[in-house]
Amino acid sequence: MHIFSQLFQYEHPWSHVVIGMWRKYPNPKCTHVVSVDVIDRSVDPETGIIRTERILGCKQKAPRWVVKLFGGSEDAFVREVCFVDPATQDANITSVNLSLSQFATCYEVVRYTPAGPHRTNFSQTAEVQARTRLWQTAANGLEKWLVQRFEQNAQLGKTAFTDVLRALWEERHGHLQAAAA
Amino acid sequence: MASSLSPECTPLKTQYDACFNSWFEGYLEPAVAASSTKNRQEYSKRKAEEEYKACVQKAVKDSGLESTLQQARDEHPLKSPPPPDPSSLEQGKKH
Repeated sequence: MHIFSQLFQYEHPWSHVVIGMWRKYPNPKCTHVVSVDVIDRSVDPETGIIRTERILGCKQKAPRWVVKLFGGSEDAFVREVCFVDPATQDANITSVNLSLSQFATCYEVVRYTPAGPHRTNFSQTAEVQARTRLWQTAANGLEKWLVQRFEQNAQLGKTAFTDVLRALWEERHGHLQAAAA
Repeated sequence: MASSLSPECTPLKTQYDACFNSWFEGYLEPAVAASSTKNRQEYSKRKAEEEYKACVQKAVKDSGLESTLQQARDEHPLKSPPPPDPSSLEQGKKH
């Protein structure tokens, strides 16, 4: 598992940061995010917490070996769930990749909390984890297939060479017998 | 505003985003955005939300994302905010 984390402060009050949060894209510095869709949104009547579920569409060239190995494409989608709590001034955003998620997951948590009246703390952590159990299943399957293939080829090779030897020596014997006659 | 994953939903999304954003500002800072058109906005937000939601649901289906989305939801429902991270709380206390 690989972990990434960073802390930062924005020179803006918390409310300005969370209002700006919905206007982050499109952004000339993050051109890989091409679409943002709200697929679910609700306000908890008791706590007042707004929950927003979004799908972000990204276009980013993956390394060739990734595309070859996993059949990925330029289009990648991310699911994001965001909680904004105006009472405690807390915003929490969790994102997980939807594309290639059968092979690996990138679980990112971002949090905005006030740092005084004019500044906002930003914390970001991400865990990248390959689904090793699935890899193991895939690796076992590959091994099995390779063994079967090898056995088949070995069987074919054996009979093929038997044919060659039979043909060669039967022919020679034939000649010898013909010459002796 | 960012576009929708399906171009046909983008106009509905733009309308919905605009409604939500103005509502959101008022929700966070009621004193700043005590607008007289509040009621009207809330009404149009409802309508814009329904139209956009229907469009994007179809787009998600058409993009073949439905099953991976369901899988992600099953794995991490994220129905309520995750517990506060102790390190970020400490960081907040320092200031």
